[in-house]
Amino acid sequence: MADPIIQLENVTKRFDDFEALKGVSADIREGEFFSLLGPSGCGKTTLLRTIAGFEAPTSGQVRIAGQDMAGVPPNRRPTNMVFQSYAIFPHLDVAGNVGFGLRRSPMSAAEKARAVDEALEMVGLAGYGRRAAHALSGGQRQRVALARALVLKPRVLLLDEPLSALDKKLREQMQGELRRLQRQVGITFILVTHDQEEALIMSDRIAVMFEGQIAQMANPEMLYRRPVSRRVAEFIGVMNFLPARVTASSPAGIEVEIAGLGRATLSGDSHAEAAPGEPPSVGIRPEMLTILFGNEPETGRVAEGEVREVVYYGDMTYYEIAIDGAPGTVTVSMRNLVNRPVLRRGERTRISWDERALILFR
Amino acid sequence: MSEWRSSEAARGLALVGPTLLYAVAMLAVPLGAVLVYSFLTDGYLTIIPEFTLANYAEVFSDPIYRQVMARSLGVALAVTVATVVLAYPVAYFVAFHVRPERRSLWLFLITIPFWTSYLIRVFLWKVILGYNGVVNATLTGLGIIDEPLTFILYNVNAVVITLAHAYAPFAILPIFVALGKIDRTLLEAAQDLGESRLATFLRVTLPLSVPGVVAAVLIVFIPTVGDYVTPRLVGGPEGRMIANIIQLQYLRLDNYPLGSALAVTAMAIVTVIAVGFVLSLRRYLRVRQ
Repeated sequence: MADPIIQLENVTKRFDDFEALKGVSADIREGEFFSLLGPSGCGKTTLLRTIAGFEAPTSGQVRIAGQDMAGVPPNRRPTNMVFQSYAIFPHLDVAGNVGFGLRRSPMSAAEKARAVDEALEMVGLAGYGRRAAHALSGGQRQRVALARALVLKPRVLLLDEPLSALDKKLREQMQGELRRLQRQVGITFILVTHDQEEALIMSDRIAVMFEGQIAQMANPEMLYRRPVSRRVAEFIGVMNFLPARVTASSPAGIEVEIAGLGRATLSGDSHAEAAPGEPPSVGIRPEMLTILFGNEPETGRVAEGEVREVVYYGDMTYYEIAIDGAPGTVTVSMRNLVNRPVLRRGERTRISWDERALILFR
Repeated sequence: MSEWRSSEAARGLALVGPTLLYAVAMLAVPLGAVLVYSFLTDGYLTIIPEFTLANYAEVFSDPIYRQVMARSLGVALAVTVATVVLAYPVAYFVAFHVRPERRSLWLFLITIPFWTSYLIRVFLWKVILGYNGVVNATLTGLGIIDEPLTFILYNVNAVVITLAHAYAPFAILPIFVALGKIDRTLLEAAQDLGESRLATFLRVTLPLSVPGVVAAVLIVFIPTVGDYVTPRLVGGPEGRMIANIIQLQYLRLDNYPLGSALAVTAMAIVTVIAVGFVLSLRRYLRVRQ
C-alpha cells in the first residue's frame, strides 16, 4: 500500500487551560474518504484545523505527503478547506470566488477561466460564474466553496461540517454528491461531522473522537458491529443494553446470564469496554431483535414482553418493549411489510434473538 | 386595521415630530434663506430684493474666490487622506488584535480628545506649533535646528495638522465598525486558498472595509472643507479657507448676497465631490455580508 498522505503522531493541542487534543495518532491513506466523528467539543474541528495549519500542535507531529508541517502556514500546505460557514467572499461573484486561489498559478488568464468553468461544472453550477455571492442559496454556496477548493487540485480536501447548515433533503442529496465527487477526483477527503449517520454513509474509514482522543478508528461496518466501548456503541446508532453477569470465561467463549434473555454463550472476541464504573451489560442493536407476529414459528431464542410505545416511521416501526424480567425497555425496529401488522401499546409479544448479535460490555 | 394603522402613524409622527420641527426651523429655513439671499442684489448695507445672477458671476469670475475654494478643497483632501491613512491602522489594531473584552476600553481611550473643547484643542496646537512653541523649543534645545521653524504655524500646514488631529476619532470609529463586521473565516479562507497575510488584506479585508473608509472620508472631508475656527486661529492670511471668506462677506463687508452665493457654491461643490466619490465605489458599498 502507498504511504499515508497524512500522518498524525501523538498530536496534542492545549488552549490556555483546555486540552483540546490529547495525543492523537492516525494515518490517513491517499484517496480515502475519512471522517472525524464525535460530539461537539471532542476536538474534531481542532484536529482538522491543525491539519489545515490554522492551529499549531502543542506537541506531536503532522506530516502531509511525508513532509513535517511544523511552521508551514495554511497557504503553503497541499490542503484546501471547505468551511462550515462556506466563507464565500461577499464582494466577489461566483467566478471570482472559485478563481480566488488561482491568482498565483502560472496558468494564463484563459486557462484559469477554463479551470473555473470546469470546477463549476463539476459541482453542477455551470453558467453561474457571473452570479453575485449573496444571490446564492445555501446549497449553491456550498458547491461554490467546493469548487473553489477543488480547482486548486489539493492533495487533501478538508470539510468542516459542510452539510450541517442544509435542510434534510438537500443534505442527503449532497452526501451522495460529495461521495461521487470524491471518487471522481480521487483525492483524500477528510470530513468533520457530529452526525453518525452521515459518517457511516459517506466514509471509507471513521475515527470516533471523545474528549480530544480517538476512541476507535475503523470502517463503518466494523464500527457499527464491533464498537470497542459502550460509549462508541451509544454514539453510533442505537443499542439496547441489558444488565448481565459473567458466569464463566474461557478463550473458547464467555458464558453470561442476561436479564430477561437468560443464559447465552458469546464468542471470545465479542466483548468491549463498559463505561468506567458501570456493571457489565450486553448490547444488541434494534434490528437484531425480531418481533414474532401471531403464531410465527420461533427462530433462535425467544423472549416475551409487553409493547410500551410504538413509533411509526412509514417504512419502519420502532417499538419500545418491556421484556419480562429485564429492567426498562428495549428498542426493536421492524420493517413494515404487506402481511405485517403494527402492534398497539399494551399488546404482549414474542421477540426472537440470536446469540451472535450480542456484544458484552465489561 | 385602519385604526391600528393610524395610531401607528400618529405614534411615529410623535416620535419624529420634535426632531423634524427642529431640523426644519434650524436647518431647512436658514438654508432656504441663504439660497434666496444668493439671488438678491447687494445694495451695500441693505439688500435690494431684485433677482440677479451677479453674485454667482462674481464667485466664478474673481480669481481670489477660486483660489480660496481650491485651497479649501486641497486642505480638506490632505486632511482626509492623512486622517484616514493614520486612522486605518488604529482601527485595524483594535478590531483584530485587541481582545473583545478590551475593545470598549480602547474605543473609550480614542474618544478622550473629545473631553476638551474643539476650540481649546486648536489653541493648544498654537502653543505646540508656535515660534516659541513646544516643537521649536524641543528642536532648538536638542540643537537640531538653530532658528525656530516658521513653516509650521500660520499657514496651510498648521491647518492640516490641527484638523487631522481633531477628526482622527471620527475616522477611526466607522473603519473599526466595518472591520469588526468582517467574518474572520473569510480571512482564513483566503489564506487556505494560498494567499499570504498581506495579499489577504489587499484582496479581502480592504475591499470589505470600503464602506467604513467611505464613511470616514465623508465624515472628515465634508466638515473640513467648511471649517472656520482652525484656519482662523492657526492658518494666518495664507491659510484662509472658504468659511473665512464667507464670514468676511457677511460680517465685515455686510454683503449677504455674495456671502450666500459663496456658501451655496461651496455646498454644491462638496455635494458633487461626495456623490461622485460614493458612486465611484458603489460596487464595494453594495456588498452584503
